[in-house]
Amino acid sequence: VNILFVMKHRGNAGNTHAVANYIRVAPEYGHNVAMYGDPQLHLPELKFSKDVKSFDRAAYLFESEIYRLSRLEEVSMLSAIEKRHRMIFDMDGMYSPVIKIDDYDFNHASEEERLRWKEHFETLSDVVMKPMLAKTDRPNVRPMTFYGYDASLEVKPADAPEKKYDIMHLGHNWWRWRDIGGKFLPAIESVRERIGEIGFIGLWWDGPPAEGKDAGPEAAFESDPAMIKRLRIRTEPSVMYTDVIRTMSTAKINVFTQRPVLHHMKHITLKYFEIFYSDTIPLLMLDETIARDVYGPAARELMLRENIGEKILDALARPDHYRDVVMSVRKHLAANNSYEKRMAELVSAIPA
Amino acid sequence: MRILLVTSVDAWTRSVSTIHKWIDAGRALGHDIAVYGEADPDLPKLKFTTDLKGVDLALFVVQVPGDFPDMPYLARVLDGIPREKRAIVDLWGRYNETIRVDHDFNHLEKLDGHQAWEWHDAIAAVSKLILQPTLSPRREGVKPFLFHGFDEASITKKYTSSAEAADAWKNKPYGAMYVGSNWHRWHQMRAFLEEYGKVREEAGQACLIGWDWGARPDWAVHKAIMGVDADPEFLAAQNVEVRHGVRFDEIVGLLGQAKFAPVIHRPLFRELGFVTNRSFETFYADTIPVLMLPDDFVEKIYGAAAKKLVPSKGLASLIADALRQPEAYWDAVLKTRAHLAAKHSYAVRIDELTRMAAK
Repeated sequence: VNILFVMKHRGNAGNTHAVANYIRVAPEYGHNVAMYGDPQLHLPELKFSKDVKSFDRAAYLFESEIYRLSRLEEVSMLSAIEKRHRMIFDMDGMYSPVIKIDDYDFNHASEEERLRWKEHFETLSDVVMKPMLAKTDRPNVRPMTFYGYDASLEVKPADAPEKKYDIMHLGHNWWRWRDIGGKFLPAIESVRERIGEIGFIGLWWDGPPAEGKDAGPEAAFESDPAMIKRLRIRTEPSVMYTDVIRTMSTAKINVFTQRPVLHHMKHITLKYFEIFYSDTIPLLMLDETIARDVYGPAARELMLRENIGEKILDALARPDHYRDVVMSVRKHLAANNSYEKRMAELVSAIPA
Repeated sequence: MRILLVTSVDAWTRSVSTIHKWIDAGRALGHDIAVYGEADPDLPKLKFTTDLKGVDLALFVVQVPGDFPDMPYLARVLDGIPREKRAIVDLWGRYNETIRVDHDFNHLEKLDGHQAWEWHDAIAAVSKLILQPTLSPRREGVKPFLFHGFDEASITKKYTSSAEAADAWKNKPYGAMYVGSNWHRWHQMRAFLEEYGKVREEAGQACLIGWDWGARPDWAVHKAIMGVDADPEFLAAQNVEVRHGVRFDEIVGLLGQAKFAPVIHRPLFRELGFVTNRSFETFYADTIPVLMLPDDFVEKIYGAAAKKLVPSKGLASLIADALRQPEAYWDAVLKTRAHLAAKHSYAVRIDELTRMAAK
């Protein structure tokens, strides 16, 4: 099967990383996967193509905006690959009812916006894939954990870079402040002196984007630079997707948060897996049921919902114990989430 | 037969007049012809539809990228009507190799963001039946189909004789008028006006109605697009009245205010032998069309009588001669109208299209 992904590609985005993996494993199973577009010099491992006639399946991947090709490209694409051979990955839950979590994060600003998305989705494809484990009761919506786990990417302690941080949070400040500013930072304030360097890697921790309202809702970028400064949090720019695992491996502990609306919809993001490739102790600010579904029973030990300060200190004090827990989770992930398995799921998801 | 015209329509530009004629002709001949899309209050006489059921043929009418519908309409029409029930008429020569004629072109990425191959792929993707409005398409596999036509009922004043026409024609507020935008027509227009200047005192004032005649537009300056040049001082020296563009349904009436109306094709279309709506529409107006077109093209499209309307001995000579003996020129106009009505009616066009689609 020849599958062409149609999506916005960015070197520092998880979805691009996942598609790079599909591109890598596809030939082993007699398939061919590429991303629509012109070759990018800074992304040499990604295979790009605009030769739509060479593909018989199209996988559109939408995040929080409807990604469009130019009009002429759309004509060629839609003519070459008919509706029944197209699928859509709804990564940000836009093919869902309007959901607003705690009067904070949301998928759609209005019902009108939702209807616009719905119309676009249903016109383009008969199948909408959601990156989640749970089944849905909508016949055209299918769950598929888009991302896979590639055990060969696990960083061994001997190969890991020097630990610069005790704690790291790697990810943009995009709908994260309720977890970080509301729970995590207040919890560690009283034990801050017992913790070494803390780093937040990603955009918008020091302030909202320069584009202002054009960048998105103000609440998405909420932060408290004074608090970050007071707790001596070091902020650093985002890193390319190829550097994510190694960067996370420079910290003893990595804190995992997920955007609230996606967490509510039980979407599994690449970070769920990436954080376990790293030579680090992942501590999970997730719902425990979801964490156990993805990571297996060992994940209970890594939960960071309550007694956050104590948990951090415990992880710093007993790294060997936590390393064993991490190894157990890694085994579970490798057994259930290989890209080989994902590739088969992807091929079977698009009608022949 | 149910025919869907898939294109964009704008009351101020491109082929909106021809699209109206297709709808009207369909109605008169018992066909159901409509434009694909939502109704446009600006164009109340046009029939629109988004119903794809029972469509026998979808004719994509393409000039600019926006002539392909936006989503979700694009996916609906491509998924809803099989390729063998689609045809595409390429009105601006996009399906040719890249051509440069003077400053004119058929592809220019800096203008619309698209390279030649994107046009070729998109057009070929829509249908195997690719048509161009010329008698001699250059590219193999492209079939000739003029698309634009002549609607005899749209002639504003039907004369029974050339004498009657000539008599009614003598008193007009303008000597010459051109209605249309300054898009790759400046050099031909300037040459026309320079020659016209020799007879302006006898013939009357010239008038240009359309976009960008008064000054070279900013967007053309910024993008360094040639072909929309302008020379306000020259126009002032020639006493040319310049007016902004008008709606499509005002054009024929305006042309009738002048004794002469030049028919000018942009260089690309001359090169490819393309016709446009204006190739035919000018003959609806109560004016003498002056065909600033190659002789052989005129004979093939307009018939032998129309050769008199070509200024082969110079424009000033033709104008002066027509002022002296208008009956002879009106005789040519009336004969040309009859030729166009017989050979280029919309009934003929619909028949040509349906025959090609049936093969």
